[in-house]
Amino acid sequence: MSAKSPILSIRNLSVAYDGVDGFLEVVSDVSLDLVGGEALGLVGESGSGKSTLALQCLGYQHPRARVLQGKVFLQGKDLLNLGFEDLSRIRGKTVSFVPQNPTTALNPAKRIGQLFTELLLHHGVVRSNHVAAKRTTDLLSQVGLPDPNQMIRRYPHELSGGQQQRVCIALALACSPDLVVLDEPTTGLDVTTQEQIIGLLVRLRQQLGLSMLYVTHDLALLSQIADRVAVMYAGQIIEVAPTVKLFKEPLHPYTRGLIASVPHFLSANSKIGARPLQGLLRRADLPDGCRFSTRCEHVTDLCMDTRQRLEATSTDHYVACHRWNHIKVTFNEEKKSERLIRQKAEAILKIEELTVTYHRSGSSIINYFRTPTTPAVHNVSFQIRRGGIFALVGESGSGKSTIAKSISGIQPLDGGKIIFQGSLITASIGARPKNLRKEIQYVFQNPDASLNPRIKISEIIGRQIEILNDCGRDEIGERVMIALDDVRLDRSYAKRYPDELSGGERQRVAIARALIVNPSLLLCDEILSGLDVSVQASVLDLLRRLVLKKDVSMLFISHDIAVVRGLADDVGVLYDGCLVEMGTNEEIFSAPFHPYTEMLMKAVPKLNKKPLFDNDSHQITPSEAKKVGCAFCGRCSKKIGEICEVTPPPWRLFGQSLYIRCHHEGEELKMVPDQK
Amino acid sequence: MLILRMLLSRVLLSIVTLFIVSLIIFSMVELLPGDVVSRMHGRMVTDEQRAIIRAALNLDTPALERYLRWLGQIVRLDFGTTLALNRPINEVLGPKISNTLILAALSFVLYLPMSLIPASIQAIRRDGVVDQGISVVTLILLSTPDFLLATLLLLTFVVFFPLLPAMSIVDHVSTFWEWVRALILPAVTLSLVMSVYAIRFLRDGLIEVLDSDYIRMAELNGLSRRTILWRHALPNALIPTLNVTALNVAYLMGGVVIVEKVVGFPGFGSLTIDAMLMLDVPLIEATVLIAASVYIVANLLADIGAILLNPRLRTMTASK
Amino acid sequence: MKISLVGDAAITKSNSWRVRYARMWRESPRSFRIGFMILLFWVVVAIVGPFLAPFGPTQIGTGIPLSGASWEHPFGIDQLGRDVFSRVIHGAHIVLLLSISATLCGLVIGSFLGLLSGYIGGWLDEIIMRVSEAMISIPFLILAMLIVAVAGPQWSGNPILVIVAVAIVYIPRTTRLARAASLDIITKDYITIARLRGEPSLSVVRREMLPNATGVLLVEFATRAGFAPVLIGSLGFLGFGMRPPTPEWGLMISEYRELIFLSPVTLAGPGISLATLVVGLNLCTEGLARMLGRSGEGVSA
Repeated sequence: MSAKSPILSIRNLSVAYDGVDGFLEVVSDVSLDLVGGEALGLVGESGSGKSTLALQCLGYQHPRARVLQGKVFLQGKDLLNLGFEDLSRIRGKTVSFVPQNPTTALNPAKRIGQLFTELLLHHGVVRSNHVAAKRTTDLLSQVGLPDPNQMIRRYPHELSGGQQQRVCIALALACSPDLVVLDEPTTGLDVTTQEQIIGLLVRLRQQLGLSMLYVTHDLALLSQIADRVAVMYAGQIIEVAPTVKLFKEPLHPYTRGLIASVPHFLSANSKIGARPLQGLLRRADLPDGCRFSTRCEHVTDLCMDTRQRLEATSTDHYVACHRWNHIKVTFNEEKKSERLIRQKAEAILKIEELTVTYHRSGSSIINYFRTPTTPAVHNVSFQIRRGGIFALVGESGSGKSTIAKSISGIQPLDGGKIIFQGSLITASIGARPKNLRKEIQYVFQNPDASLNPRIKISEIIGRQIEILNDCGRDEIGERVMIALDDVRLDRSYAKRYPDELSGGERQRVAIARALIVNPSLLLCDEILSGLDVSVQASVLDLLRRLVLKKDVSMLFISHDIAVVRGLADDVGVLYDGCLVEMGTNEEIFSAPFHPYTEMLMKAVPKLNKKPLFDNDSHQITPSEAKKVGCAFCGRCSKKIGEICEVTPPPWRLFGQSLYIRCHHEGEELKMVPDQK
Repeated sequence: MLILRMLLSRVLLSIVTLFIVSLIIFSMVELLPGDVVSRMHGRMVTDEQRAIIRAALNLDTPALERYLRWLGQIVRLDFGTTLALNRPINEVLGPKISNTLILAALSFVLYLPMSLIPASIQAIRRDGVVDQGISVVTLILLSTPDFLLATLLLLTFVVFFPLLPAMSIVDHVSTFWEWVRALILPAVTLSLVMSVYAIRFLRDGLIEVLDSDYIRMAELNGLSRRTILWRHALPNALIPTLNVTALNVAYLMGGVVIVEKVVGFPGFGSLTIDAMLMLDVPLIEATVLIAASVYIVANLLADIGAILLNPRLRTMTASK
Repeated sequence: MKISLVGDAAITKSNSWRVRYARMWRESPRSFRIGFMILLFWVVVAIVGPFLAPFGPTQIGTGIPLSGASWEHPFGIDQLGRDVFSRVIHGAHIVLLLSISATLCGLVIGSFLGLLSGYIGGWLDEIIMRVSEAMISIPFLILAMLIVAVAGPQWSGNPILVIVAVAIVYIPRTTRLARAASLDIITKDYITIARLRGEPSLSVVRREMLPNATGVLLVEFATRAGFAPVLIGSLGFLGFGMRPPTPEWGLMISEYRELIFLSPVTLAGPGISLATLVVGLNLCTEGLARMLGRSGEGVSA
């Protein structure tokens, strides 16, 4: 074992929240060690208590939280016994924090430089403003920010999300701490930005020998950065092991379920996870014994009664399950794709040259200066086949939602046509007849916002057919029940209110509401993005089944290329309002690739993969691009030269139906292999 | 420049609002059903008097013409002639407005510390005994109608401890000290009412700032309590302060009316009441319009202040 | 199996909002309960008082004018020989009735206008907002006085006029509040869904928006109702409200003001009553706001 004594040592820590329902224990009897130079990953679902635990490493509690028992030793000092004064000397200096949301964590009224100067002076790292400025620019360069001298004078809101996070990382490193605690630092960032930040963190670790506690819900991320991983469930640590070992031989049933939920990507017969997790984490009724027993497939009576404790199964692998030896590890064999190759049907929806420019909403007088809310879309054309699933892939700001909104009728067009079932339709919902409104249905991203919290589920679903199908009262009741059956929700849910349901269940209700009217076209706008990974798999499964059963065509919008791989028949890749690649599923995911598609695919965190990108390369804000040349030329690694900036690239046909919009011919568009 | 455009549009908005206010006032007074004089004066006037008044108000000309003429006068800051005294309104307004301005200024000066200090204490010692104590006192004062408060203060400092004069009647020949003694009572009443109203908003605003992510981040970075409060929290709390103060100006306009009446101070408030009681139409229109304008201007200034203080907007260039 | 087998995140929110409301009453903060008690007291006085009061509101000759407090006349006797205590009791229902009805009118009309305006948007919204802003620019007391003045002498002293005046003062303020609340609501996707199915605007406002704004509107009602007695009292005090000999508390305070040198206790009668009533209302409001704010999720902004 390591001869070093641990930097961080948590012993039997229990923390509870004083919530509306009384005390809720979110961290239960946790013990953990972290030695110098080590990166420890802490993984768990939302609500597992990981963030609370992370904050305790700085001796910080939410105002309503209380430490019930335990100790947190940082470099030998018990943090929980220190007063504010002593803690303020340690925080930022011995241990520092990188927050989840960099935008709200930076004081909007202060310039970047001021934040650093204040910190450096307070902890006595420098003595004068001048030296502080120098150190600041050094730090900013170290985290890969361009033009540090300029950056010092900027305000946080002038920076992009990725840049803000780099600033937060620089702040965390400013006083050369012994330990850096990171709480989901890349959640909420684009996939490609996420990739860059991870790359930065890996590099910094190598250069500076940092010790890290990295908290996340995304297991795949940890494979790139953590030496050891601790898995947390319902406030308890249930497994600890070195990263490689954990992924090769996970022992706890929960860990196995988690790993199985990560979509495998770029495999020839891709399929979303073999055995996703079952059941729900209901904090209100946790059993006395093993907390996972209500969801475990291998549960025995002993499990429900006896509290499981971490035991060593080998020198560095600990698991809190007495049955670890009895459970066979069967892993995800390559399953055949469930995606049916549908017949080439005719198009149910044709989009031609769709264009939306910036729009401002609200009062014209006041909002004259407000930032435009709608990303632009430029000359987008594609088709959706009857009964087929068309996926639109792109990052945030690419305009994919705008396209969906135009189709549904709430976003007016500035150019182009929408042809549905052979006839031209207006892009204005007010002008559409009722049967047209019925045919196109929408499912939104955010399950919290798509159901009215004051209305019962039965009414939420029933209202659709009440208005759109002219059903009688009694018939509505029966059809709502059938709809609930379809989405695999118990019929008793009809009497409930949305806040009694979890995120995944609400999304199912939203799907039920959309499908109950028997539409021809379903628009799904990032419907999985708001859900935990383990839930995504089952909702996707449901969707696939229902689409088949009801013979619905679907426009599936997502930024998650792995999900798209296992679902869509045809795919369109969108960048900054322009389609850059389009084709069938198989064609898109095999060479040749548009440079942006290639970038997207490489950015997906997979198990055992080293990150590539490290620089926050020149980000073009949507308004800057002149839309003269190729929209992607600012970030393209395969840029030819001036031709890319000035001339719009042509559509080139490869194979049967793969279209790529690029000045390159074909050879250059093969993927650059990963560096190992 | 983007900021210039924002400011300009804000000013434009105020002008539009002012215009609509004038329309509302005019229609309420002169356009409601029934002849203006009959309706408002009823049987209190003889037919002769009615004819005189009608002539004075030009009631035989169509409404639109009257309105436009009035508007034209207003723009030139000529408010017409009073009915009762037959003097130009401007003459009457002048001294009253300046009196009230002095009173308002004094009240404001008192109100700022009276509200900021307790609110800050409350925000820092949230949910403690002090916080709750201040809340209780605030609540009781808040619930006391201002006319009652003024009367009670009058009772205390005139009857029980005869320190102040019973009536705050001053004019241009009064001495400085007479002014001071006359102003204390109404000023304290007004500032008390304003403070009590503001304290709650300020407390909530400060607490919201203290709960924000960047404050938590500052604490996690190990900064001291004093630094966090003064250099991180307070600057961001300026904007809600500005908002509340603008609202208080609104109250002030109404509050002076009552308070001046209670103490007999010859200011704008007393003038307004008298105008209403005497049904002096041009004076009514003038005073209400002025009162509304003060509110609109105060709001405009507060908004401009908020725009200028917001770093997001200071640095916005055409690209975003 | 029909039972949901979805792997899902922890639910730290509590159960249905209806259950939450029921629990709220049991666990309401002390401030709310005290306020409610005070309110209840005055309601009882308003309803039952007039039958139990020792003297009538205009009854003169009850004793020596301006004699101080005594057991028979806890608040003394005013300059016309009327028992102040009884007058206060008789005035309770006036204050409450006027305050509640005026606030109710203002709230109902204002909420409806505000929500509709926010939902429909466009030029209708613009006009409603501009007019509301303009009305709000006129200080409330001055506006109320103006309304009373322009109505003319035939309406003078009429309680309906007072109600109308206060309601008109309240409508634009409530409209602005309801509209602000609606702006938050209409960004939600369930409103978009309602739009997409072509539901008529009034129906959307009533069924989808209103239930989500009840928290805000309830607090607004309580706040305005708490201030109404002050406004009505101010009008009475200045002579723009009810006419003598009505035992309206504001009017009484004005009538007894001159007596503070001679018999200060007469002023205490209506003064303390008005103050305690408003304290009770404000406590309720504050308690209400805290309860609704704390239970968080179900209540929209």
